[in-house]
Amino acid sequence: MSECPHSDGLLILPRLRIQNANAISAPMTWGFPSMTAFLGLMWALERAMNDKYPLLLNAVGVVCHAFEPQVSKGGFTKSFCLTRNPLRKLKNKDDEKKPPSIVEEGRVHLDVTLVFGVGGGILTASSEERNGVVKHVAELVSRMRIAGGTVLPGSFSRRPELIALADDDEKRLAQFRKIRRALLPGFCLVERNDLLDQRLQLLHGNNSDATRLDAWLDLSRINWSASITNNDEGTESVTWRHDRSSGWIVPIPLGYAALTDVQEPGTVMNARDTTTPFRFVESVYGIGQWLGPHRLTDVRQMLWYASSDIESGLYRCCNDYTQAL
Amino acid sequence: MNQLDPETVRGLRQVIDDFLATRRDVKLEKLKPDDPTREELHAQYELHTWLADAARRVGQIQAATHTLKAIHPDARGTNLHCQPSTLPNCELIGSRLLGDTYCADVIGNAAALDVNKFLIQEYQGKPLLAWMRNDEGAVIAAFHADDAETARQWMHAFLGLNRSPGNNASHTLAKQLYWLVGDDPLKDAQFHLLSPLYASSLAHSVYATIQKHRFGEKTKAAREARRNTHYCEYVLHEYPNLAEQKLGGTKPQNISQLNNERHGVNYLLASCPPVWRSQSLKPPYGTTSIFDRFGRNAEVRFLVRDLRTFLESNPAPKQATRNRRDEALSSILGEVRILAEEYRTLPPGWSADSRCRLVEAEQCWLDPKRAVQDADFTEIWQRMAWMDEIKRRFGNWLNAMLGDTLPVGDIEHDYWADLFDDEEWRCQVKSDLRDSKKEAKHV
Repeated sequence: MSECPHSDGLLILPRLRIQNANAISAPMTWGFPSMTAFLGLMWALERAMNDKYPLLLNAVGVVCHAFEPQVSKGGFTKSFCLTRNPLRKLKNKDDEKKPPSIVEEGRVHLDVTLVFGVGGGILTASSEERNGVVKHVAELVSRMRIAGGTVLPGSFSRRPELIALADDDEKRLAQFRKIRRALLPGFCLVERNDLLDQRLQLLHGNNSDATRLDAWLDLSRINWSASITNNDEGTESVTWRHDRSSGWIVPIPLGYAALTDVQEPGTVMNARDTTTPFRFVESVYGIGQWLGPHRLTDVRQMLWYASSDIESGLYRCCNDYTQAL
Repeated sequence: MNQLDPETVRGLRQVIDDFLATRRDVKLEKLKPDDPTREELHAQYELHTWLADAARRVGQIQAATHTLKAIHPDARGTNLHCQPSTLPNCELIGSRLLGDTYCADVIGNAAALDVNKFLIQEYQGKPLLAWMRNDEGAVIAAFHADDAETARQWMHAFLGLNRSPGNNASHTLAKQLYWLVGDDPLKDAQFHLLSPLYASSLAHSVYATIQKHRFGEKTKAAREARRNTHYCEYVLHEYPNLAEQKLGGTKPQNISQLNNERHGVNYLLASCPPVWRSQSLKPPYGTTSIFDRFGRNAEVRFLVRDLRTFLESNPAPKQATRNRRDEALSSILGEVRILAEEYRTLPPGWSADSRCRLVEAEQCWLDPKRAVQDADFTEIWQRMAWMDEIKRRFGNWLNAMLGDTLPVGDIEHDYWADLFDDEEWRCQVKSDLRDSKKEAKHV
């Protein structure tokens, strides 16, 4: 099991307003964009900085302040509000035009704060120099796509910050207390795959054939069951209870698992380039939890990082919330 | 080679004949008795003619567990048939978990899908395709009693349904993403290009489960029982905020066979953050202090009880104790801030309603934008005396919450109040003030 890379400091980009981010995070989940999108943003940002500054990004955390999905209101299931696209010419027919076939997309407007775990010499530089870099990085981000959405201009109502974390445990805790209060009100996503094992054991009590897929679905829904209690007067009464605990538990995509071996660069037609090894994959899922930042005790609990196992073909987003408790 | 069992051959032949007869009769029914094409139809569904044609057309379809067209209907490229049990072991949720009981999808020319229907016809609980793999002699004999060589060729053609494509191809409309496998994002060589396909077999299994839980007979009975608070041993399953994505629009068969069976519906489980709940929030009318409401919040009560238990245990006055206490206080304060922030999102001016009984200071705190519409309120607001009042009230409230058994007094009160007055709070007030001044100019 890999571990969250050590970070000497934090880069905080507060309250980014993102319009039309992708709400279909994977073929089986919708809602908040996938964490893979934020890891991708981190890599793209580092490439955009292009070694100009002594600043390295190791991990990324997201706090969601506002969430406005573009879906139908009411009804038993949600459906996505779609856009009508311009007419296009039919092949071989010059005079006839038709709207293109609809490919359903999910969109969401978000307010998020991004917290990057960082390292590098910039943390010990003069505050003037640091401010310059932070300003530049914030500018870069505002020009990038985040989870397919655009960052709205003028959304930096609070200033981005670069904070060097103290070495001393106590000081770091006090520091983090201040940081996380600034993240309120909001919720951050952490990984809770430990709940999958727990639930599977529970299910095995009734059904020895239950799989992790059953456990995952069981955690993704509300299960109501009836029970009979005997009153003092000897009458029976029935109560229906659900199994939702107070935690906000959700199914989330956690990365990709390989379906084939790594294909040599250039052997797959229509690949985005001919120099990078190519692999067919599928999305894989796990369990996450939305938590108020004030419930965290260490910044590591909210940071996500990538781990890749080429041998077994697992490309995964990791978060050490449970380990860092 | 196995000994040919004439019983098996007859049985297989019967299944094949029944299949053809049913299909032919369905078409015949639609024709008038004197239609000249009736003869043609009879000829078309003659065993050997149909098999030869089907063996040719099977090349137009392919069995797959992972499809590309579901990602985008205009994308063309590799679809894969991966037996779930051969995929690498993985602790995460994926197709691997389907084991041997998966249902393969079929893609390709929709006009050739009847060939697939033929191949999944069952004899003794096993589909024809499985018979071809396990007992080819019997199948060959059932196909053609006299010409074993032709029958063998047909069978090999049918077995090609599960073939893997020769050349791998992706598409500009397929998803392709760069994933950093090393640790330096500046080096191109440290990336892999990943192309996610749609796990149709997995989606099918999940679809079946959800469909059963939403529309099954037992579910209906259990819903009825819950409505009348009757007992029912069946557990009701609800999928909160479940979304339906339509694949393939009005032509789900263009995406794949299983997509057609799902009527083009792709279920999406919700992973929305909890901010959603605040949309149904009502103004806190009828109460004089918002802190009373906060005190009734389950999370706050839990946190306060935790802190009280800790303080009651008389911990030694050292740094660790102070940290633990500050930790707990910080959590309570955080929860209070979240609750307050929800009220602050209500439409400005709600506190001016006659039903609002909140004290003035709390009105200022929770309804800052009212200042734009209300000059008297602005004056009170900008005097800022309400800030101290809120701090005092927070201290009072927390003392009262802890107070039954603990000796909390003025010192504690001041400490709690000071804690409330942090940078975040000042920042918020400052920005409220700025906003109200800015907007006042426009009114």
